[in-house]
Amino acid sequence: MSVSETKEIIVNGFWKNNGVFVQMLGMCPTLGVTTSAENGIGMGLATTAVLVGSNLVVSMVRKVVPNDVRIPAFIIIIASFVTIVDLAMNAFVHDLHKVLGLFIPLIVVNCIILGRAEAFASKNTPVSAILDGISTGLGFTFALFLLGAARELLGSGQLFGQQIMPADFQPALGFILPPGAFIALGFILVWQKWIDQRSAAKR
Amino acid sequence: MPHFLKMGVILMIVGLIATAILAGVEDVTRGPIAQTQRQELLNSLAQVLPKGFDNAPERDFVQLADKRINRKAKPVPFYRSRKAGTDLGVAFMVTAPDGYSGNIDILIGVDATGTVTGINIVAHAETPGLGDKIFKNNWLGAFIGKNLKNAKWGVKKDGGEFDQFAGATITPRAIVNAIKRGLDFYAENQEKIFKTPAEESAK
Repeated sequence: MSVSETKEIIVNGFWKNNGVFVQMLGMCPTLGVTTSAENGIGMGLATTAVLVGSNLVVSMVRKVVPNDVRIPAFIIIIASFVTIVDLAMNAFVHDLHKVLGLFIPLIVVNCIILGRAEAFASKNTPVSAILDGISTGLGFTFALFLLGAARELLGSGQLFGQQIMPADFQPALGFILPPGAFIALGFILVWQKWIDQRSAAKR
Repeated sequence: MPHFLKMGVILMIVGLIATAILAGVEDVTRGPIAQTQRQELLNSLAQVLPKGFDNAPERDFVQLADKRINRKAKPVPFYRSRKAGTDLGVAFMVTAPDGYSGNIDILIGVDATGTVTGINIVAHAETPGLGDKIFKNNWLGAFIGKNLKNAKWGVKKDGGEFDQFAGATITPRAIVNAIKRGLDFYAENQEKIFKTPAEESAK
């Protein structure tokens, strides 16, 4: 694997082909758990763990599993990793598990994971697949963190549970409620497109 | 071997491997998960129970059912705290079915004289910013030291002595009334609650 290939995988996963901003996948956890920056990061990292594991295993078995049954086999692999993450988090980071509890089983149906298994891991070597899992996962984490931080700041005046806004700031409750997730995501998408257009114009 | 059979066998093998791995992970995490759950239960009980017990209330419980505790009369555990064999108090969960949005689960701690020693809201889905003011300004602390004789049970609007909030009467009313019903039940069944031998813990 050459250096430029490595760079491409990283840039693609994290930004150019970002699961949330560009592919618009995994919207259920993206909108559902991002009521705070901490939740966003927690969900992002849990997804990253599943993504790296499933990418690695899918890539390892890509020549063993026949094409006809690859999708069910991938689903079994992904579901197993989600269960492992669910159990491990419940046992070792119980507080975070309590907050994210309902959404962890839903990682199974996060299209980003099946998408990467199908589009990338099943066609590439284990090393590339791990790298792709890490960069895609961190890109997802970054998106969830941005959304969570924006909602927490506007909706409760805090960041990571610390009061940031001045005391007389009246929190806009709507941002903590579900509609706020859509509105905040819209603005973040505008910002992402704006950056991309600016860098395209420079070239 | 016909094609479909071969595919089936391959999927079966994938499933078997996944099952074996998951069984192993479950076995490793079962202990820590049970441990954290017990610790969590003990922590929440210790918050509401009278101080100074020397038994393990999370294991010393008896299950009782009544329509006043929750609408469906589902059995709830009454966790008993004792010191050197004397009965100190009981913690049990009442469910208010008449909140603004869904059930409100309230953990009540009472001492042997029927006086409230602590209130904790375990689960609720009240409107953020309105109904959840119950957690602010020590509103729940107002119940401590109150019993059926020394307090007028009800929100101020209903002629009781507990504050409601501007714009949110339903939530406080539901909580005050649920606690009252819980205390009524306790007063009538105190003997039974303390004297029934502990049930075999399911765990």
